[in-house]
Amino acid sequence: MTRRREFLKILGTAGTGLVLGLRLAAKPSRAADPKEAFRPNATLAVRPDGTVKITVGKVEMGQGVRTALPMVVAEEMDLDWSRVDILTAQPGPDFMGMSTGGSTSVSSTWLPLRRAGAAARDMLKQAAASQWRVPLEQCRTEQGFVLGPGGKKAGFGSLAEAASKLPVPAKVTLKAPGDFRLLGQRLPRVDGLDIVTGRAVYGLDVRRPGQRYATVLRCAVSGGQLRSWDQAKALAVAGVQAVVKVPTGLAVIADSTWAALKGREALAGSASWDEGMARDFDSQSLESSMRQALAGPADPARTVGDVDQAFKVAARSLEADYAFPSQAHATLEPMNATASVGRADAELWCGSQSPNRVQERAAAALGLEPDQVQVTLPLLGGGFGRRLGTDFSTEAAQVARAAGGGPIQVIWDRTDDFTQDLYHPPTLHHLRAGLGATGQLTAWSHRIAGPAVLRSWSGGKKNPAQASVEANGALDIPYDIPAIRVDFAEVPAPMTLGWWRGIQIVPNVFARECFLDEIAHALGTDPLQLRLRLLGQQGKVKFGRDEADLRRLKRVLEVAAEKAGWGRTMPRGHGMGLACHAYDGRTYGAAVAEASVAEGRLRVHRITCALDCGFAVNPSGLEAQVEGGLAFGLSALWTRITWEKGRAVQTGFQDFPLLRLPDMPEVRVHIISSSEAPSGAGEPPVPLAIPSVLNAVFAATL
Amino acid sequence: MTSFKLTINGRARTVIADGETPLLWILRDSLGLTGTKYGCGHGVCGACTVHLDGEPTRSCQVTLRAAEGHAITTIEGLSADGSHPVQRAWLEEDVAQCGYCQPGMIMTAAALLHQKPLPTEEDLQEAFADHVCRCGTYGRIRKAVKRAAGGVR
Repeated sequence: MTRRREFLKILGTAGTGLVLGLRLAAKPSRAADPKEAFRPNATLAVRPDGTVKITVGKVEMGQGVRTALPMVVAEEMDLDWSRVDILTAQPGPDFMGMSTGGSTSVSSTWLPLRRAGAAARDMLKQAAASQWRVPLEQCRTEQGFVLGPGGKKAGFGSLAEAASKLPVPAKVTLKAPGDFRLLGQRLPRVDGLDIVTGRAVYGLDVRRPGQRYATVLRCAVSGGQLRSWDQAKALAVAGVQAVVKVPTGLAVIADSTWAALKGREALAGSASWDEGMARDFDSQSLESSMRQALAGPADPARTVGDVDQAFKVAARSLEADYAFPSQAHATLEPMNATASVGRADAELWCGSQSPNRVQERAAAALGLEPDQVQVTLPLLGGGFGRRLGTDFSTEAAQVARAAGGGPIQVIWDRTDDFTQDLYHPPTLHHLRAGLGATGQLTAWSHRIAGPAVLRSWSGGKKNPAQASVEANGALDIPYDIPAIRVDFAEVPAPMTLGWWRGIQIVPNVFARECFLDEIAHALGTDPLQLRLRLLGQQGKVKFGRDEADLRRLKRVLEVAAEKAGWGRTMPRGHGMGLACHAYDGRTYGAAVAEASVAEGRLRVHRITCALDCGFAVNPSGLEAQVEGGLAFGLSALWTRITWEKGRAVQTGFQDFPLLRLPDMPEVRVHIISSSEAPSGAGEPPVPLAIPSVLNAVFAATL
Repeated sequence: MTSFKLTINGRARTVIADGETPLLWILRDSLGLTGTKYGCGHGVCGACTVHLDGEPTRSCQVTLRAAEGHAITTIEGLSADGSHPVQRAWLEEDVAQCGYCQPGMIMTAAALLHQKPLPTEEDLQEAFADHVCRCGTYGRIRKAVKRAAGGVR
């Protein structure tokens, strides 16, 4: 019981109403800071005027957390949704766990937010009962009011001050899902009006008094160093004020973005670089190293049974190789940050998925303490994992200091954004299956070869979890096979890597699910029937630290197939394909794609997706994540990053052909909402897109 | 540096700048109209779309000099309260995810519907072929344009 008091704390002072600080007892997750579990990272404040301010400790990048998380609080508190103000927190001691990624925002905050809302509701109710001198049981809450016997009614605002003097209840009763009014409703995004009127403020829209603009000339080759330069031509550009050296290159400071861009163009020709070790790197040599690694030594990610023996006694075996190219994040808003740096303090305005890290790293770079750096978070014009990086925010702090303080907005142009990305690496996959005499699958091996994201993310050091992280999506193959080996052969590469929406699950599930259709074809079996048979009667299965309930996977597969009309006759040249995956053992998804190939052109006509991520907090937002996640996956059918002479070849949307409206298929989403706690939906749909489409192409071209 | 007279959202504005500066940066940096977004600077993503005499135009591809004498409408000028039929349809379909590309999408939709009140799927495909939404809101954009169809004067 005392543990409850640890996570809720009264923060307000007299006259401010009821202010509660919450500690979100988050399960440590891939993207979360381990300190998160012990720090408050949300506040809710009932103001005397009856409005309620909810401060969200996660960042909004289009996934809808600024809508979904306050809905959870508002539900338990019985708030009037139209009187809720939503703020985004600033990182610091009160908000230590703002890292937003890995589809964890709702799952990690669901229970603590509900408990906080329920505690606040009970305190307000208690305050009313005391004021009215009636038993607590005779009071109830509705739409921001406490209602008592004999028509008594008091707004939360009028009770806030009295409630703030009460102890936080040690025990709260959460609502039964049947009593939910807000949760489960299709509420529109709270930022919608600001977005459609152009008022929404993203990082690039930050305008501070006296603000100047900067671009940075960086080496096109990863790890290159500046040797010499001549700033005369840059300084001759109207509006350019200075050229300053920073650790990442040369910053051109100007009175407008355009002058900063023109100044850098003028400067570029004068700079000479030591391009270093990576100058000879190219995609071709990387691919041949990866090809070799498919047959060389590897780190095991998961082994079940005696795999070598199982292959030895197999009646026959099948093999196939798969390749997944490197990818860029390509957020529509390129990287940027605005910084103002004083002698003992600094301020940053920056769209980030890692606000706490932005603060810590900028502080370290400036020789300040984290609490001397204030970070304000505008909306993110897309994240997709790119903004987990802090390269752009730290650089902006360094530019501001070198240029005498700021405020300075450092803008990356589209080319910078593509050529200085934290890339998703290319991978090669070798899959092998052993079949018994009657066609049963007796052995499975999946070798992944490629550069390791986790090593790049860990400052070049090998992390003990490397093989399992790089094999996520492969090692948790859900099919009941007696002998399984999944391993990862690391291939060094000089480019900086990072987390991409869906991470390595995307290529790994692509290879696994496409190979499964090859097996079905070899066996003359229907791909759906083969999967259902291989899922069998399995219940909860542990994969490393995750545990998946495979009955839920089977269910989404059946729903997607049924809704898509699996097995119906398709027009000539059209095919249907499916794929499924249990994402981190938390979210279950299956997709059926309908595609055709005519005159060498691939068309995706429709994707039917069934998703089970537990209770659906906001079906509109959830469906948007499925639609968008599938689109994100589909783009990678056409996009790739390659390297020549150490440089990324693709420099913008013109040679990185992201999915556009004419190619967007019809998407039908079937959410299987349950009373299970919500898990997450930003990433889980992504890995389903490519294999379902390619399996449809396979079926269409048989 | 020269002085230029622009008509933006029905208001006369005077800007002193290099005439070769793209209109995009004049709007964003000189006039504080940050609703028009920078996405690529090459006219291939559509985030910076404004209306020039009613025509959807990439503001990163029009110089300040060339913009003079034309009626310029930005997202801020469509309606400040979200009451334009396209904005309303966008809210009703809950289109936006990150929202960064949406002002450009909305400007293209408004121009399309002004010219073709009942656009066909082909019209839609043509109008939005050079717009990028990385969040993948295309399905809802289709629905919102269809919802707004007929409601734009």
